[in-house]
Amino acid sequence: MAVIQVEHVRKRFGNKDALEDVSFSIPKGEIFGFLGPSGSGKTTLIKILTAQLNPTDGQASVLGQPATTMQQSAQKMRFGILTDNSGLYERLTIEENLELFRQLYSLPKSSIDKVLQFVNLSGERKKKVNRLSKGMRQRVMLACAIIHEPELLFLDEPTSALDPVNSAHIYKGLRYLNEKGTTIFLTTHDMAEAESLCDRVAILYQGQIQAIGSPKELKKQHRENVVRVDLTNGEAYELPVTEGTADQIADWMKRGLIDRLATKEPSLGDIFIQMTGSELL
Amino acid sequence: MSISLRRARAIFVKDYKEFSRNYAISISLIVPILFAFLFRSAGPSLPGAIGFLFNISLVLLTCLVQACLIAEEKERNTLRTLMMTPATTLDVLIGKSALVFVLSALALAIASYVMGYEPASLWAVVAAVVLSIILYIAVGTICGLFSKTLLEASLSVIPAAMVFTAPPVAPLLFGDYPILKVLDYTPSIQLVQLLELPPGFMTGDILKPLLIISAWTVVFSIISVVLYQRRLKDE
Ligand SMILES: Nc1ncnc2c1ncn2[C@@H]1O[C@H](COP(=O)(O)OP(=O)(O)OP(=O)(O)O)[C@@H](O)[C@H]1O
Ligand SMILES: [Mg+2]
Repeated sequence: MAVIQVEHVRKRFGNKDALEDVSFSIPKGEIFGFLGPSGSGKTTLIKILTAQLNPTDGQASVLGQPATTMQQSAQKMRFGILTDNSGLYERLTIEENLELFRQLYSLPKSSIDKVLQFVNLSGERKKKVNRLSKGMRQRVMLACAIIHEPELLFLDEPTSALDPVNSAHIYKGLRYLNEKGTTIFLTTHDMAEAESLCDRVAILYQGQIQAIGSPKELKKQHRENVVRVDLTNGEAYELPVTEGTADQIADWMKRGLIDRLATKEPSLGDIFIQMTGSELL
Repeated sequence: MSISLRRARAIFVKDYKEFSRNYAISISLIVPILFAFLFRSAGPSLPGAIGFLFNISLVLLTCLVQACLIAEEKERNTLRTLMMTPATTLDVLIGKSALVFVLSALALAIASYVMGYEPASLWAVVAAVVLSIILYIAVGTICGLFSKTLLEASLSVIPAAMVFTAPPVAPLLFGDYPILKVLDYTPSIQLVQLLELPPGFMTGDILKPLLIISAWTVVFSIISVVLYQRRLKDE
């Protein structure tokens, strides 16, 4: 059964469509990445899926219920969300912030220790939030979003503005959560992040999904039919896949001239630029 | 809509911790007590003093603090984060209001004691003050929900202060025009009437002001809940 099912969703703001016609579904246990240039409607989609916005048209269901019911307490127990407009109580310590969430979700005391270990902040628990660095703050917000071990986790650019070490911490945590069964829906600007973390990605542009699939599949689909050959004498060629090329390569091979031989594969970033005509970041 | 006392209490405890570390806002606790000492030194029979004290405290303490607490949650995005947890509208509003309620009740009780104020009917005054505190909390909630920042919230309380506390002094400023009779139905004038009830009062003298204040309280509480629920959506 799909954890998220989106059918022909459209969202209009004023006289402009932020989302035109978006359909996809996410099975249980997947890490799904939503990629798209700034303003393409990624956040809008998360808001629709969490009942913060109503779609103008189309249907979305989340965790087996219509997305519009996600405001009910029983549904809220089942998902967690971290967006760029999540916030923390500045005058409270990390632990006090988590204590609030523990109570709101009716969890046992041990859940705080567990989640603190998870985001690697056990040693900092008594620190006030207004003394924390950006990366620590982001990890605390993640902790608040996952303290109840949700079935589904929405992450809107979870690692933007984080350095690679902090991002790596978060990736590790997310993979672990995922292994324990949490389905993860994330948006990102970071292609490397999408490639290493996501089982599948979708590229959103001009209100529609332009491509969807595993990073591997997408790369295969967009592979150009060329081989790249580096010779031991320093020469390098990009050759079309033809019989002539095969003969040429066989010849070089016999003479022991080949240093490196590879099919040329586009990166996810290349595909993204090709689809959207825009550079990220 | 359901209420979970556990969740409302968690929000209350959180607000209490934040409030006690936020000196810029917690200082408003001393407003009523400061006025009480001021009026006491002017003599206990200063006309209108007790009414002024209660009305100004309801604005500067109850309404202002509630508006600031809500506006700060909006400014820091914590309100949206709270809305994404199982806490319902009533959990959040009751949890947040409970703190301001307790503080207001405490401060007004201390101020009355300092002034040496003795009401003609204790229960009527207590009922009127409880209702008024709830009313001004609702007004503060509305001000907070409409403002984007703490500063806006503090400023938005000024019109509320004019509407709600000016009526008792209006006749002194503008003379006794018949049109000002409308102001008799404001909650501040009704509260003053109850506070200054003469000893030989009738039941009707109590009932009418209580009913009028209740009506205001109910209307504004409903408005504040409806406004909060609209905020759940991000349109
Ligand atoms: N509440 C709103 N009212 C009007 N227009 C809106 C609203 N929210 C978003 N938009 C518009 O919808 C479009 C999509 O915005 P959205 O925030 O979903 O983009 P995004 O993909 O999340 O961008 P980013 O990567 O910068 O976060 C934008 O053009 C934005 O201006
Ligand atoms: Mg966004």
